[in-house]
Amino acid sequence: MDTICVQQCTAKFNADFVLDAINWSIEPGQCWAILGPNGAGKSALGALLAGEGEIQSGTLTGVPGRVSLVSLEAQARLIQAERDKDDSDITDVVFAGTPLQEMLDESCVDPVLQAKLVRRFDLTPLLARSFRQLSTGETRKFMLVQALASHPELLILDEPFDGLDVKAVEILRECLAEQMTSTSLLFILNRFDEIPDFVTDMALLQQGALVQQIAADDLPAVAQLAQLLHLQASELQLPERETAVEEVALNPDQPLVEIRDARIAYGDHLVFEHLDWRIEPGQHWQLSGPNGSGKTCLLNLITGDNPQCYNNDIFVFGYQRGQGESIWDIKQHIGYVSSGLQWDYRVSVSVQNVVLSGFYDSIGLYQTASDRQLEIARQWLALLGMTQRASASFQQLSFGDQRLLLIARAMVKHPPLLILDEPCLGLDDMNRQLVLALIEKICAESETAVVYVNHHASDRIKGINHYLALDHRG
Amino acid sequence: MANYFNTLSLREQLAQLGKCEFMDPAAFSDGVSVLKGKKLVVIGCGSQGLNQGLNLRDSGLDVSYTLRESAIKEQRQSWKNATDNGFTVGTYAELIPTADLVLNLTPDKQHTSVVAEVVPLMKQNACLAYSHGFNIVEEGMQIRDDITVIMVAPKCPGTEVREEYKRGFGVPTLIAVHEKNDPQGHGLAIAKAYAAGTGGHKAGVLMSSFIAEVKSDLMGEQTILCGMLQTGSLLCFDKMVAQGIAPGYASKLVQYGWETVTEALKYGGVTNMLDRLSNPAKIKAFDLAAELKDIMRPLYHKHMDDIMSGAFSSGMMQDWANDDVNLLGWRKETGESAFENATNTDEEISEQEYFDHGILMVAMVKAGVELAYETMTAAGIKAESAYYESLHETPLIANTIARKKLYEMNSTISDTAEYGCYLYNHACLPLLADFMTGMNTDVIGHGLSLKDTGVDNQRLIEVNAALRSHSVEKIGQTLRGYMSAMKKIV
Repeated sequence: MDTICVQQCTAKFNADFVLDAINWSIEPGQCWAILGPNGAGKSALGALLAGEGEIQSGTLTGVPGRVSLVSLEAQARLIQAERDKDDSDITDVVFAGTPLQEMLDESCVDPVLQAKLVRRFDLTPLLARSFRQLSTGETRKFMLVQALASHPELLILDEPFDGLDVKAVEILRECLAEQMTSTSLLFILNRFDEIPDFVTDMALLQQGALVQQIAADDLPAVAQLAQLLHLQASELQLPERETAVEEVALNPDQPLVEIRDARIAYGDHLVFEHLDWRIEPGQHWQLSGPNGSGKTCLLNLITGDNPQCYNNDIFVFGYQRGQGESIWDIKQHIGYVSSGLQWDYRVSVSVQNVVLSGFYDSIGLYQTASDRQLEIARQWLALLGMTQRASASFQQLSFGDQRLLLIARAMVKHPPLLILDEPCLGLDDMNRQLVLALIEKICAESETAVVYVNHHASDRIKGINHYLALDHRG
Repeated sequence: MANYFNTLSLREQLAQLGKCEFMDPAAFSDGVSVLKGKKLVVIGCGSQGLNQGLNLRDSGLDVSYTLRESAIKEQRQSWKNATDNGFTVGTYAELIPTADLVLNLTPDKQHTSVVAEVVPLMKQNACLAYSHGFNIVEEGMQIRDDITVIMVAPKCPGTEVREEYKRGFGVPTLIAVHEKNDPQGHGLAIAKAYAAGTGGHKAGVLMSSFIAEVKSDLMGEQTILCGMLQTGSLLCFDKMVAQGIAPGYASKLVQYGWETVTEALKYGGVTNMLDRLSNPAKIKAFDLAAELKDIMRPLYHKHMDDIMSGAFSSGMMQDWANDDVNLLGWRKETGESAFENATNTDEEISEQEYFDHGILMVAMVKAGVELAYETMTAAGIKAESAYYESLHETPLIANTIARKKLYEMNSTISDTAEYGCYLYNHACLPLLADFMTGMNTDVIGHGLSLKDTGVDNQRLIEVNAALRSHSVEKIGQTLRGYMSAMKKIV
């Protein structure tokens, strides 16, 4: 078999789904797993190789003559074909459906192999039955036998394990492992734990784009991929807020933040002046501006970390700053993440305690957490896929995992305001995906107002509809 | 002005010296409320002044800075520090009369002139806070009767006071009320609120007296903390170089060695520091420390005696009056030492190697800590004070040496500490000359390099028992226990 080569290929599948500028190659002997959240375009990519879709630009070369595709769509087509054969309304003869044996014989290339497969998958008792009479699992087994017995050069298996019982899954894995020498295999999978151990390469699709390709023996990258898929799983929900503690109620009619005519200067150096900003509860903001335009200064006026908040007109969470409130009165309403925070978080502390420290806005944990708080912290660790590492040292985590954990720390109390100051700064692609996946979940699922600061136009957050741009000199 | 301590009766002296207790965290449940709405004016905007002020303001208090007119006019660093941080800055005449609490955070040397200028401007019944009691105790400064005089002394450098506060914690802090100046009896309440405003109450507060603070602070800083580390650095470096060890290695081993071995001290006292050594090396360090203690004991006694009698401070004040001739000469000498001028090797030294190759340094720390502690407690100072002023602070000073050797250490510490450090060093170097001729690279530079690390059981049991039963270890365990009970960071 030749190398299958997909170059800058953009393909349209229906009015609203496009695979965008895919660059990819499948070498002989490789076995790929295509992963990604629902709707990312995994099935479309499989279908593209099977000859479907309308290529609009770029090229697809090296696809072998015999390609088999086992998918829900292929199943639907078989069912439709059976329906088409049903002329009972016209002939008034009840159509019993095509017996399996007949369907197998139509496509068979290797009768010996086919007979063997039928036995292995326990289909012998069903051969006389018609396709339409099969259960979901039996249908799936039948299609797999049919595909395997046709000696494909490329076999595309879209969620092949769906609907199979444990025994059938085991048999399928064995059969596939045996066939790897003569067939290129491509798995399309939703669940990371279904990836067979003989897979050699993995690719990640997001919103129609192929964003990651990693070798299966690159274990750290594989672990991150697993974590990302976990975070993007649609059934995953943010842990609840802590209700036991009496919260300081905010007046819902007041803005969270109101800054009037702010000015920050250091000596003769003016950072900005005449700046106004009002953030209402639940609003999502994006703050942008070139380096040195004062983005972090502005955020620190809100958090109280910039000392000049005391000589500006700043109203936050019901407090006019400088009237006797403490910095902890302010911070209890804010979740804050920045790369700077990560540098500052240098204390010796466990992973779980980092999350717990969010309840107290501290770096390190100096209070005894309640059972309820511990429970919530564990839920967050489960969300991040870090349950096993709860007692590991924070300093020993990867940079990206530290950042995820700090976001969880910021969110653990469900603050009215979450400030994300370049949360992806210094992160590689995969970690950036991880962080963005978590932030999107937060924007979608909580009542927290988000202020998001970034430079990368590609790091767009769904749900942001307010923008503040700083230029030099405010 | 007469030395205040010397005006007291022996009974009063002992009562004041013996004052030091660890306060129950519940004593701080009122937080800063006593100072809410009051006007706090800080004199001096160096590291302590600025960072304490930042913390107090972030705790909801009204803080401004007063500087000498010249500092404001010339826009000196202190003026920049205050204005860049958004504080109101004014002259003494402008701000002091408005103040309910005046925080004197200038260097000791300036206290007499600053306080003399400020007190007449203070309003009736206001409060004056110090972070060091030298001016009151040693110089005998008399403060107007209506004024309350307190002390709040964070036991860490200013930057750390700020960093820990921002983390949501604090640094251990000592507070005291000058009993002679507590006309309304609310000195303690103000001191507690001030300590809470800096975050100190979260890390533990010791209630002491001006006298106990001054006498123990002076003793600690000039003997084990600065003096012993300075003398030890010079002796160990010179010894290694004389024995043919590359100066680059010797310099690095000494510069970072103190920090590394005292880190072990910080976590688990002298016992843990020695436990980091192999059994034969531990016994060796133990024996060397015993020998060092016998040689240096009279010197520690002399320092304590001179501090108690006031001879030390009057000598130093003479030097102040003489344009710091002694101090500056000694400082120059330190800057010119071979150790100070050696360039460190790039060679990696592992954490354990600092112990294994620095047996003599470990012995010096043990001897110094125990002697300072024993001498202080024998002079009537409470174990808690003696612990904080010896063992507890040693890693902090070691850290300044790790940053930039002795010159940096001496310019970071207070002027009283620096002066005392040089006095100690000049007396201790000749005192240890004989002892040092008997030392070899097995205890400093190369390590024991034994093939057989076996030891006699009986001897090891004796050494371990002696280490663990020392009084500084017992009080240390208790005080570190309080600290870690509060600082639950694992």
